[in-house]
Amino acid sequence: MAAHAEAAIEVEARRSQVRSYITRRYLLVLPPMLIMIAFLIFGIFADVIAPGDPGQTHLLSRLEAPVFSGGTSEFPLGTDHVGRDIWTRIVHGARVSLIVVAIVVPGAALFGTAVGMFAGWRGGIVGQLLMRYVDVQLALPAILFAVLLGSVLGASLRNVIIILLIWTWTVYARLIRAEVLSLKEREFVVASLAAGGSNWWIMRKQLLPNVFNTIVVIMTLEIPIVIVAEASLSFLGVGAPVEQATWGRMITEARNYLTHAWWVMWMPGLALMLVALSGNLVGDWLRDLLDPRLRNLG
Amino acid sequence: MQFANLFLIRVLQTIVVIWVVVSIVFVVSRLIGNPETSLMPWDATNEDYERIREKLGLNDPMIVQYGKFLGDAVQGDLGFSYHRTGPAIDIVADKVLGTVKLTAAGLVVALGLGLPLGVFAALRRGSPMDWLARLIAVFGQATPSFWLGLMLIFFLATKVSWFPTAGSEGFRSLVLPAFALGLLSAAGFMRLTRSGMIDVMNTDFIRTARAKGLNERTVILRHGLRHALIPVMTILGIELGRLIAGSVIIEVVFSWPGIGRLMIESILQSDYPTVQAGLVVIAASITLGNLIVDMTYRVIDPRIRMAAL
Repeated sequence: MAAHAEAAIEVEARRSQVRSYITRRYLLVLPPMLIMIAFLIFGIFADVIAPGDPGQTHLLSRLEAPVFSGGTSEFPLGTDHVGRDIWTRIVHGARVSLIVVAIVVPGAALFGTAVGMFAGWRGGIVGQLLMRYVDVQLALPAILFAVLLGSVLGASLRNVIIILLIWTWTVYARLIRAEVLSLKEREFVVASLAAGGSNWWIMRKQLLPNVFNTIVVIMTLEIPIVIVAEASLSFLGVGAPVEQATWGRMITEARNYLTHAWWVMWMPGLALMLVALSGNLVGDWLRDLLDPRLRNLG
Repeated sequence: MQFANLFLIRVLQTIVVIWVVVSIVFVVSRLIGNPETSLMPWDATNEDYERIREKLGLNDPMIVQYGKFLGDAVQGDLGFSYHRTGPAIDIVADKVLGTVKLTAAGLVVALGLGLPLGVFAALRRGSPMDWLARLIAVFGQATPSFWLGLMLIFFLATKVSWFPTAGSEGFRSLVLPAFALGLLSAAGFMRLTRSGMIDVMNTDFIRTARAKGLNERTVILRHGLRHALIPVMTILGIELGRLIAGSVIIEVVFSWPGIGRLMIESILQSDYPTVQAGLVVIAASITLGNLIVDMTYRVIDPRIRMAAL
């Protein structure tokens, strides 16, 4: 009886431990989640939140300090070296990042999943070749090929999106292929094959639902990667065109004013870091929730 | 015998990787780009263009150009730089040492920070040290390296002038770039060492080692860490590749003289022979690094020695 009660107490203690772990996880993920939502809202409603023109220069108020550092409320986050309002530029920069993410992440997921499914299910010479190509691309510094492609294609938002699509689809292909390879051996798939299920039907009805969590987790983890990649390209001068306000370009342009106008670099840099960090935390959380096996993929 | 076979397969893979790299650069530069426009002054006439196209062989059919280009590449001839004087491969070779130095320093930071932090975090789970290590890991993984570099410059080179803002004179100028480069990998090593150590320290043989009366230091370092290092070894190759790739942007941020900065400059000047040479050297060193790590790994851990690739 006593042992029984002890065991019950232990189970209860364990339960409350798990509960408190879950609440702690939710509390920890709440702030990054809010930041990501804010990023989304800033991106969508950029024109409403900061109605000014991000390229508008005010030559008489160059390098104006932000309002909390002795500036005026006309430029809440200060101005850059040609007197452009940093607040407006950051909000519109969020829009550029959001557009890139909104096209690149689903696009790469779609293409990568299709290739991964094909290579895992059908395989064959074509599948082998595709996967070898994926290996090669994943082994090489993507940034160099991106800059090469960027310099040849020219600076435009469309080209940035093309480059990032080429850059990121391989991750999905490799992971989905590995998943499909292991699903292939499972009884329910073998049974469907034996029952005469067509390839297309099995892929759609049995493989896809089973890899869906993986896809969602990778997509979430890819959001900050794509944002940082876009900023890196802009930073190196092959991203979006000059007239577009992007965080990466703002940071590059501010480098020369580092010593006497810190805010010009810090404002876009902090925005970038905050969004990248939040995206990572939300992604980690979602991965632990949906697909903990992906944990050791780095 | 099997080991030799594996080695041979990997060498062949390396050659294929380099062939793919060279071909990608060829396709991108010849099919999409126009190498001749970047070479000519703005007032060049059509005849001038025709002359340079003829001289560079750009009027030949694509397939002939590709064959000639591959033939030259096999002999180690990647053409002359369009913008600098001399063969492209020599110009790149000049910068190899800079990148090697930076990458090595980055690896030292990554391992020197990641391993001890991982061990301490694992031994004192939930302690402030553990929280600090995990905080560093989260930040290291999320912060874009160029932004980290700029923050380091801001705080440690302009606010207090402990380190130079750029350049490559002496040891002190290496500290900030190495740190900016290594932190991301340090985060990865930290995570793996931590989880590896936590697993190992709960095993029976650690209890046996303690029961034998070994001192804690020996138990942790000789028995625990050695096992925890196996998963770290598996990602060493990947991390080495990441460090080499990451050095590109760090070299630009810190004006560090290496292949990465040379290549970014060459790409922006459409100096394709130099870009080609640089990409070949980088691809070769990444695959070679992977090869070495992979082989060492097989020597260290007999269980996977004969396993498939």
